Amino acid sequence: MKILIIEDEIALLQTMEEFLRAENFLIETANDYPSGLEKAMNYAYDCILLDIMLPGGSGLSILKALKEEHRKQPVLILSAKDAVEDKVLGLEIGADDYLAKPFHLAELLARIKAIIRRNAQQGESMLQYKNIQIDPDNRQVIVGETEINFNRKEYDLFYYFMLRPNKLMEKTSLIESVWGDHTDQADNLDFIYSQIKNIRKKLRDAAAEVDIQAVYGVGYKLV
Amino acid sequence: MAVSIKYYTNRFLAFTILIIMAIWALLFYAFLMDEVYDNVDDGLKNQKIEIIREAYNNPSIIEDNKVYGINQFRILPTQDHKDLDKNHFSREFMYMPYDEEDEPYRILRTGFYSKDGKAYQLEIRTSTVEEDDYLINLAISLLVLYLVIVLSILVINYFVMSRAWKPFKQILANLSLYRFGHAKSFTPVQTQVKEFEELNTRVLQMIDRNEQVFEGQKRFLENASHELQTPLAITIGKLDLILQDDHLTEQQLVKIADAKQSLHRMVALNKSLLMLSRIDNNQYSQIEDVNFNERMKRLLDDFEDMIQYKGIQVDLEETGTFSSRCNLELVDILLSNLLRNAIKHNVQDGTIAISMDSQKLQIANSSQSGALNPDYIFQRFHKGNQDSQSSGLGLSIVQSILEKYTALHISYQYEDGLQIFRIYQ
Repeated sequence: MKILIIEDEIALLQTMEEFLRAENFLIETANDYPSGLEKAMNYAYDCILLDIMLPGGSGLSILKALKEEHRKQPVLILSAKDAVEDKVLGLEIGADDYLAKPFHLAELLARIKAIIRRNAQQGESMLQYKNIQIDPDNRQVIVGETEINFNRKEYDLFYYFMLRPNKLMEKTSLIESVWGDHTDQADNLDFIYSQIKNIRKKLRDAAAEVDIQAVYGVGYKLV
Repeated sequence: MAVSIKYYTNRFLAFTILIIMAIWALLFYAFLMDEVYDNVDDGLKNQKIEIIREAYNNPSIIEDNKVYGINQFRILPTQDHKDLDKNHFSREFMYMPYDEEDEPYRILRTGFYSKDGKAYQLEIRTSTVEEDDYLINLAISLLVLYLVIVLSILVINYFVMSRAWKPFKQILANLSLYRFGHAKSFTPVQTQVKEFEELNTRVLQMIDRNEQVFEGQKRFLENASHELQTPLAITIGKLDLILQDDHLTEQQLVKIADAKQSLHRMVALNKSLLMLSRIDNNQYSQIEDVNFNERMKRLLDDFEDMIQYKGIQVDLEETGTFSSRCNLELVDILLSNLLRNAIKHNVQDGTIAISMDSQKLQIANSSQSGALNPDYIFQRFHKGNQDSQSSGLGLSIVQSILEKYTALHISYQYEDGLQIFRIYQ
């Protein structure tokens, strides 16, 4: 999987690059408008991460150029400008998704995978870990032959774990990803505990070979 | 005590006119009396000449006029002396049968020598002005004049001033309609009066300057928040990378997670500030008919896990549909801030009672604290007693949103241990 990151903040660029390489992506980078435009127009990527405010031009112009040339490059806009009109405009021009800075890297990964999955052929999008399979298109979780009945939130949570098995998933990033804008840091985040408990119980009942482990009160890990 | 300008000048006018009229009355009186006596005295002197001439021709009148009779003079023998023929005028009271009392007379005393060289004193009298009556009459008529003038001034002032100050009142009324951040909310008043025109211009200039400062502040807030996003994104990203390291000890892991959590609080604060400035900058301009009942139910669904975790009992009572023309996103922010507060400040196994009808929407929740101070709760960064985690911006965002929609109002109340927030139209 090949990803192009167009971002002018070098430190942020390096962070994303390092993180995504660890997730086995091939990464190319560009840190200004001309080089970003050139790479986006000349090579094919599975996903382009596009900053809007770039030296030399707007990321939205790159997006427009891509659409005018009918190049089907999935684009995820990353912007510090969490303004409504930017988001609307970006999605109207044809971006696949929009993520406001700052974000959790886990959330970035989830968005990238979702974009890639939507643009991939049917069947390639199944997630597999041990004896568990997830079909994101139908929101199905299958253990061996049997399907587990997760409710909406439980499925969303479990999907995040399945994106990155064996990796630490922080409570805060899980909650922000699943419960979205309706939570903030001031809320009591312990309610996720009962959700995890339900998921674990359902996994055990279905004889899954995986389990969710708590990691020092910081988060959880799918093992 | 402040008095209207209509009456403000009146007391000065009344006082000044009184003094002017008093001085005028004194002068008038003095001049008039002077002129009267002058005339009377001239008459008396004339009479004197005629009497002396007659006495010379016809000495018998000297004997016939020893007392005042119909001739209004008398002649008395006297000692000869140096100033015999000098004129002495005096004013005396004498009995007048017609009035049955003493009346003022002007009297000329002088002397002459008869044909045979004897000295006589001549007294001629004539009835003159009754000065005290005259004074009283003058005073009364002046008083009447004074009252009429003052009353006229009052009446004229009242009507003329009311008319003249109309633009001023209009400017005041328009000023009270002026809302900060809306330069257009003050309409200048058309007027022919130079001073008011100047007032208009000055007010407009002042508003312009204020708006500029306000704009600058808003832009500063927005820019500062934006500029913070990138360093925050970098820091959080780097911490994320460190957290992926399997070799970390528990202590290190917890510390990094704590640091990250603090950064996220900063992100949340930043987001709230951005949202406030965006609301103030009218960036949520798309307006539609929003069904609050529907939004509320959707939010309750979103918050369900948190509500369940706290064991909170939610009662939703709908007797009508509360709807208004608003921005959908802002309504969601408004309701979710209120709802989040109702959950966050609730007690374990508490209650949230929501009732909605066409006129009002009410959220009442049980809470850990007593009555809040309604003067402060909507202020930015005002925090209640027990939460160190909250940004203190939730309710001020609510306030900012409602300021955009003047048809909607919010009230707060503490009743029977319940915190009650009510939105009504």
